[in-house]
Formats: sequence, structure tokens, C-alpha cells
Amino acid sequence: MLSVQTWSPFRPSAFAGLVHYEELLFHDEVFWTSLWNTVVFMASSPIAIALALGLALLVDTRIRGRGIYRAIIFLSYPLMTVAVGVIWRWLYDEKVGLINYVLLSLGVTRRPIAFLDSYEWAMPSVVVAAVWQIVGFFMVILLAGLQNIPPNLQEAAALDGASAWQRFRSITLPLLRPAIFLCLVIGIINSFTSFDLIYVMTGGGPNHATEVLITYIYRSAFVLSKFDYAAALTVVLFVFLLALTWLANRATGGEAGAVDAAE
Amino acid sequence: MRRSRAAVVHGALVVVSAAMLVPFYWVLKTSLTGENIFQYPPALLPRAIHPFYYVDVWYGIPFVRYLTNSVIVSAIAVASNLVCNALAAYALTLRFRGQRAVILVLLSCMLIPFQATIIPAYLITKELHLLNSHLGLALPLCSTIVCIFVFKASFDAVPRSLIDAARIDGLPEWRIIRHVMLPLSTSAVATTVILSFVWSWNSFLWPLIVVRDPQRQTLPLGLSTFLSYMENTTGALYAFCIMVLVPGMMLFLLEQRRFIEGLTSGATKG
Repeated sequence: MLSVQTWSPFRPSAFAGLVHYEELLFHDEVFWTSLWNTVVFMASSPIAIALALGLALLVDTRIRGRGIYRAIIFLSYPLMTVAVGVIWRWLYDEKVGLINYVLLSLGVTRRPIAFLDSYEWAMPSVVVAAVWQIVGFFMVILLAGLQNIPPNLQEAAALDGASAWQRFRSITLPLLRPAIFLCLVIGIINSFTSFDLIYVMTGGGPNHATEVLITYIYRSAFVLSKFDYAAALTVVLFVFLLALTWLANRATGGEAGAVDAAE
Repeated sequence: MRRSRAAVVHGALVVVSAAMLVPFYWVLKTSLTGENIFQYPPALLPRAIHPFYYVDVWYGIPFVRYLTNSVIVSAIAVASNLVCNALAAYALTLRFRGQRAVILVLLSCMLIPFQATIIPAYLITKELHLLNSHLGLALPLCSTIVCIFVFKASFDAVPRSLIDAARIDGLPEWRIIRHVMLPLSTSAVATTVILSFVWSWNSFLWPLIVVRDPQRQTLPLGLSTFLSYMENTTGALYAFCIMVLVPGMMLFLLEQRRFIEGLTSGATKG
């Protein structure tokens, strides 16, 4: 509603039609930057899922101490994201950060990199921190999926002479599809909602290099007091999110997610 | 052959675990010694440990106030989640007209992330004059649809004959919930407590919007405020960070199994 009005705390609202949408689509470069950054951020979730799948397969083998490994890898997920942001800022620090120290002593770079202050490095740096936090969560979901696969299927295939790779391709992966889809949806939603990490690590900067839709909405509404404009942005975010979830649902044959919960 | 494979798996997992733990270790070390703030190259093992930064955080900034605020807000959120969601879930297990429609609406609302509703939520809270209050901070977290479905699944598993017997004995509905349903669904209660605690404890965007008064800031907000007027190279910042993380970590380690189950079931239902 608000998105088609002009509104400010000091004036009564009036109908404004699609003015905000026009501004946003044709006159606002930051909007396009933030949209693109959101997509980049989203593209990181397949990486996280692939990593998590590898880890889940490792933890699923019968070895001693798997409970401990699982706990350690999961540990970062329920923690306060603001604190996670502080931790990673410290690791990325230009002068005394651990990452620069390691890179320098390995001879990868000659000069320390100001990860969070450089236009090229800020986004990848934030993505690494985000993956670090969520990978354990994905792993646990995939692990639950793996343990639902009846073991006699694997055994039968092994008896028929299928190699480990063949078994993985034609038994494990198809049966894991619901779990992978679930991770994907969580990843998509996460890329639209992970405000805390970005706010703490870079604040959307430098020069909007890490500005995503949600930080832009926050800035428009609560820093610049353009509530009406932020409402229009929210509508865009929402439509985008719905479309993506719908697409993902169709791509996997609509076999998981919300439909599951209904039963 | 088998042994060597196990060794490879162990090796890979140890490397990953190390990658997950090193950030914590590094921050803990800095908070205890402060040495790699002033020293280059940084030492890998801590030397000359002192609790100075922790004392600094406890007395130098209103840490206790942040902590109290966080505890109050989380307590409100957890309590109201238990009550509201149990009541709603019980209602959904009864048969009534339009039940399917209600369930459908709830399910589709579940797909909307809270972040997409912050602007209307802010305006409503403002109209209610709840800005800068504990209640206002807890309000959006007071009932979560995921938990309704967690409860509903558990209530559905309670045999109907038990409920009918209780009715014949003349128990009013709310006592059926308290004395029959809830004792039989302890795991749903645990899931709800864990989910609502984690969400309210960690929540940052909402407090950032709603609270202007420093007296009402919660821990994450306090941490980010502290960050904004301190240099990266302040040992106290990392002591603060550790102090904020410790309660959550302790809870996780104590109730590991329930925690993992609770959080994943929250996700699979959402």
C-alpha cells in the first residue's frame, strides 16, 4: 500500500501511483547494484551446499568421533551473527589480521589486502563468512537425508557391481533431492535476509559493493527516512523471492518444502 | 585398505574442523592477551594471559544492562511462544469449518521472511507506542508459525481416546491442553523453547530499528554500537564478543542433540 503513496512522518499520505517504482527502475543505480549483489550472494549457496554434501558424506561414514566432528562443524550456525561478523572482521584485518598474515607468509601476496575495504574483495570476503556460518546447518539437513536412504539399496547396487561413483550418482543423489531442494530454498531466503552479517562487516560499502536489497531497504527507511520508497523496494524483494521459490519448486518437481509441512 | 580410508576421512574432517574453530581460537586469544594487536608477526600460542579486557567490558560499558535486556526480551518471547503456539496448535487439531483455509493461509505466511515485513511492523509498533520497550522488542517474535506446526504434529499424535476420556471426566479444554497434551509433547516444547530463544537472542535488525534509547539496547545491539565507536584493535571488543557468544555456546554444547534436532525441524517445517 505504502509503496504507491507519498508518505513522510510529517505529512498526511497521498496517492502517488507508480512513481516510486519508476524511480527505482529507471533512475536508481544503487537499486540495480543491490539487486545484482543479492543475486551474487545467492549464487554462493550452491557452493555451500556442495561443500556441505561432501562433509555429510564424510561424517556419514562409520568412524570414531563423528558426533564430535558434527558438533564442531554445526557450532557456528546457532551463534549470534553480529558476533560472527566481528570475528571475521578481525580475521580480515588489513594490518594484523590472521588471513593476511597467512597469505603473506605463504608468499601468495606481497602486500596485505584490505579485504573489507576494497571494491573487488569485499563481496567474496562476506560470502566466505556467510558460507562458514551456514555450512554446518546444510550438512545436518543433508545428513538426515542420507540416513533416510535404506542401506540395502546401496548393498544391492554394490552386489550388482556398481562403483562407488555410480552408486552416488544413481542412488544417493536422486534420493537426496528433497533435502538438497530444502537447502536451496533456505539459501535463497537467506540471501534476501542476511542483514546482520553485512551490516556489521561492511555496512553495505565500500561504495555499495556489498549493498544487498535488505541493507538498502534498511538504509532507505531508517537512515534516509524514505519509508514509501523502502516499501516499494520491499515489494520488489518479495515478488522476487516468491518467483524464485516457485521456480525452484518447479525445477525439483514440487516434492519438498512447504508441501511437506502440509501433510 | 579400510584403515587407510578411515585415515583419509579423519584427515579431511580434522582439517575442516580446524577451519571452523580457528576463528574462535583467534578471537579468544586476542581477548585474553591483546598481543597480536601490538605485535607483528602474531604469535600462534597465547602468552601472558590476563583478564583485563573482560573486567574492562564488565565495568566499562553497560554490559549488565545489555544482558538484562536480552534476557527479559528472550524470556517474553519464549513464554509467549509456548502459550500462543500451543493454543493455536490445539485449535487446529479440532475440526471446524474453514480449517483447511486457515492452515493454508498459515503455510503461505510462513514463506514470508520477517525482513520483508519490517516497515509495516515498525509502523504498527509505533502506533502501539511500543518503540523503546521490552514488549515492543519481543512483539514480532511472540508467535512463530513454524512452532505452531511443530506443536500440531505432536498433538496429532496424541490418541483421540485419551482426549475423549478427559472430556468425559469433565476437564475444560485448557486443562486438557495443560495436563494431557503438553506432558505428552515434551520434544515439541523443547523445540519451541530452543527456536524462540535462539531467534530472540540473536535478533539484530529489529532491535536496531525499534530501539533508540541506549537503556533498552540488547546484547547484539550493544556489540554493534561498541564496534561503531571503537577501533578494530581494541582488545575489549573481542572480550565482549566472547562474552556474548559464551551463553549460546554453553547451551548448544549441553543440549547438543536437542539443539540440532530442534533447529533442523524448524527448517524442515519452514
